[in-house]
Amino acid sequence: MIHIFDGAMGTMLHQAGLAPGECPEAWNIAHPEKITKIHRQYIEAGATIIETNTFGGNRIKLAHYGLEQKTVAINAAAVAAARQAAGTHAQLAGSVGPTGKFIAPLGDLTFDTAYDVFFEQISALDQAGIDFIIIETIIDMQEMRAALLAAKAATRKPIICQLSFDADGRTVTGTDPRTAAITLEAMGATIIGANCSLGPAQLLPVIATLAQSSSLAISVQPNAGMPELINGHTVFPMKAGEMAAWIPKLVAAGATFIGGCCGTTPAHIKAIRQAVDNLSTPVSHRPHTACTALTSRTRTLYLGPRFAPVIIGERINPTGRKALAKDIKEGNLITVKKEALAQIKAGAGILDVNMGVPGINQAATMKQVIEELSVLVDAPLAIDTTDPAALEAGLRAYPGRALINSVTAEAERLESFLPLAKKYGATVLCLPLSDGGVPTTAAERIKVAKQIIDVAVEHGLNRQDLLLDALVMTVATDARAAAETLLTLKLYREHFGCPAVMGLSNVSFGLPRRDLMNASFCAMALASGLDAPILNPFDPLMQDIWSAASALSGHDSQAIAYSRKYVEQPAPPVTVSNTPPDLLMQIRQTVINGETTGVAPLIRQALAENYPPLTITDQALTAAMNEVGLAFGQGRCFLPQVLLSAETMRIAFNTIKEVLPAHTTQSLGTVLLATVKGDIHDLGKNIVAALMENNGFTVIDLGKDVAPAAIVAATKEYRPHIIGLCALMTTTLPQVDITINALKAAGFTVKTIVGGAVLTESYALQAGADAYAANGVAAVNIAKQLLGSSN
Amino acid sequence: MPIYHPRLTTIDLDETKRYAGLSGKTDFSATLLSDACTQAQLLATPRGVWQVYAYDQDSHTIMSPSPLILTAEAIIRHLQGAAEVAIMAATIGISLEQEVSNLFSKNQYTLGLLLDAAGTTAVEMTCNAVCYVISGQAARSGLTAGRRFSPGYGGWPIIVQPEILQLASGAAIDLSVTDTKMLVPRKSVTAIIGLYPYHQTLNLHHEQVLSCDKCGQPGCHARKETTTE
Repeated sequence: MIHIFDGAMGTMLHQAGLAPGECPEAWNIAHPEKITKIHRQYIEAGATIIETNTFGGNRIKLAHYGLEQKTVAINAAAVAAARQAAGTHAQLAGSVGPTGKFIAPLGDLTFDTAYDVFFEQISALDQAGIDFIIIETIIDMQEMRAALLAAKAATRKPIICQLSFDADGRTVTGTDPRTAAITLEAMGATIIGANCSLGPAQLLPVIATLAQSSSLAISVQPNAGMPELINGHTVFPMKAGEMAAWIPKLVAAGATFIGGCCGTTPAHIKAIRQAVDNLSTPVSHRPHTACTALTSRTRTLYLGPRFAPVIIGERINPTGRKALAKDIKEGNLITVKKEALAQIKAGAGILDVNMGVPGINQAATMKQVIEELSVLVDAPLAIDTTDPAALEAGLRAYPGRALINSVTAEAERLESFLPLAKKYGATVLCLPLSDGGVPTTAAERIKVAKQIIDVAVEHGLNRQDLLLDALVMTVATDARAAAETLLTLKLYREHFGCPAVMGLSNVSFGLPRRDLMNASFCAMALASGLDAPILNPFDPLMQDIWSAASALSGHDSQAIAYSRKYVEQPAPPVTVSNTPPDLLMQIRQTVINGETTGVAPLIRQALAENYPPLTITDQALTAAMNEVGLAFGQGRCFLPQVLLSAETMRIAFNTIKEVLPAHTTQSLGTVLLATVKGDIHDLGKNIVAALMENNGFTVIDLGKDVAPAAIVAATKEYRPHIIGLCALMTTTLPQVDITINALKAAGFTVKTIVGGAVLTESYALQAGADAYAANGVAAVNIAKQLLGSSN
Repeated sequence: MPIYHPRLTTIDLDETKRYAGLSGKTDFSATLLSDACTQAQLLATPRGVWQVYAYDQDSHTIMSPSPLILTAEAIIRHLQGAAEVAIMAATIGISLEQEVSNLFSKNQYTLGLLLDAAGTTAVEMTCNAVCYVISGQAARSGLTAGRRFSPGYGGWPIIVQPEILQLASGAAIDLSVTDTKMLVPRKSVTAIIGLYPYHQTLNLHHEQVLSCDKCGQPGCHARKETTTE
């Protein structure tokens, strides 16, 4: 059966005389008869569900009009006005729109505030007698989650969740229809769909994807085409007949709740009604195969025998990692974030997050980490904790369908964790441990796993919500340990069909070459039915095994990824001779190449072979920097390479000083550098300082935003041979003139070089500078020329 | 006053290369570049804020509570045909630039330079993400968002920075401006985006950034080699 919603309320209100800037929802109290009349027009046009005039009826939106104290009254009045029109002819959907703010960490609204705001409005709608709640035009999954959770708490009536998608098929904050469908179905939405932003043509693929990804009924309320602003008015160009022509396609794509959004009128709804009545084929039941899937805000990851195995990165876990535990305890999450990015880079598809540090507020920390990781990585997260408060804090903060790691058969864990999984739409890793201890045989594990599954189902979870852990015990203490785990994997697949997950490294505890043992076990487990191992993705042997196993198990088509990985590896360098013909040349080339780790051994070798330090400096290091400078000037190499050479040269100098402490290189002269007053950009000056220092000058760096008086005072103190001034912005250019004049007024004849992004040669001359340097390399060359030491 | 903290799940490596002055170079260490991008991701706190105002074409006036009359030809031309303007401010915070200074003080010049370039990329990506939201909101009213244009861009004097920052409500994301009109933190941007009625915008490509050939700094090491309109 197809249900017909009404069309746009805003369009009708403006036609009825709502003034620009006036609160639409205020009319529920001020002009209820006009609201009722609009509803009646839609019902007469054929709508079977009408939406209350409460789209902006939440406390945050109403506060724009100073009406937040009337939230309950406005929503109740809206329901009364709608009921007046509907009687028993149509059902009422209580409309709940967005707050207009982004929820943290994407914005400044807290999740709990959003939840409270939605709860207040939805409770009011529920108590006033609506038949459905429709949460609509939501552009961010976390706001939809807050509203849906609030709706589930406030009412037992059906909840329709409609997101708004952009032309690229994603919501503004990046959620695609498949991810939305999986997340919202798991959380307990009754109907899911899309509305606003797009017309029927653009929404068609969105609806098709929603329908393919979910077993729920699908709703759609397109705009009357894409809006245009004409003569100061927003116009929706699609006529009723044209819109109705899309209805058979939307129904074929899976929609059974159909209506209109912006720009649609009773005429559109009437045409839609007729199109539905004229449908030649009855609506058929959609085939849908439920799969186990995790989601992040922007991505879906399927797990199970039909899909490629996925690595769960285990490294965000302070157990046995003192430095990480210390950082977490001190609230420094940089290490955690670094681990996350590195694991993703190394191939992890899911990140396990464990904040089990004694003495911290684990719930608060888990919330913070989940929030920060949710904006840093696209991979779904597994929340690894034994603390129900930490679990709920993590699940609440997570804008997707997480994995709970893990639930045992212990009564306390079952009773505290499973309701949270159901409430937040998470998947659950079932760990076959019971009050009786660790089951040693596969048969015993199957029995315990079944106990957990049965209780999970009693709590409303489905098979696709569950993953099974096969339990890994130590082979060094039990010869059958690995074999029983492998058998468990086979039996899991045979009996339950749920994806299998397990941590691998326990198997090798106490043995040498644990990496070899772990990797071998991983390969065997993958063949026995393991879908997602929890492992260290940085282990090179594991990575090799993983690549090979993916190809061998048919998940790497034609072994393309495998081939690419190993064919493209650079061949190890071939050493022709242990004694290169010219050591100085080799050092020179090392500096040119910027090989920071390679230069020190060569310098040590050269000194051991009695090359004089001055010869090394002149013929290898300085010669190299000259060549790099030349190449830079000719556009053959670039600034980062010049800096890398400078770094290499510094290491070389330091090595000479370290081996021969008495040795000092003679300074070419003292250069005083400053970025002028008012200019806070000092990267360019820092680059000049780096190059000057590594070309033999003594550098006095005064920093940025330096007043002329300070430069004059420093000149008096250090008596530099050259002063380098940097100005980056048009607004700070005059400070170059002022500073040079101040130096001259103080009686200094010291040479000045000026440079900076907007500074030109002609400006430098008119400012009275001795030279203009276009870049750091030029500055070094000019300095050498000015001091007569050009070589 | 919408506030948006965009997600930065990646930093564009090619753009970082370009801002580091390496656009023409293919054999520079990919590891160094990748490390800089990762570090930028860790250090950046992307945030954006904006306000939308009506724009009077005839008097070139942004109809804010204290109307701002635009006088520079460049921005007037850029906003030709706009019915409204969105004024935005975006930043990645101060941590990254502090780390760049720190790296230079530890003589890690190359990573410092690359991190600075990755930071510039991050700010640009933040701006693009904010523009995406602005563009989507404008589309709901039948308006098309044009390209963003910042104080200091070709011919629009940076002197207007304080007014633009205020119109964007930049203080809400902790942005301020110095006496010399520079934004603090440095890795920040203010910009104006014209919102054009449909019939005005058939030839607009708002997703493109201002092309390098419109800029008066031909010596810039980040200059794009080719431009398209």
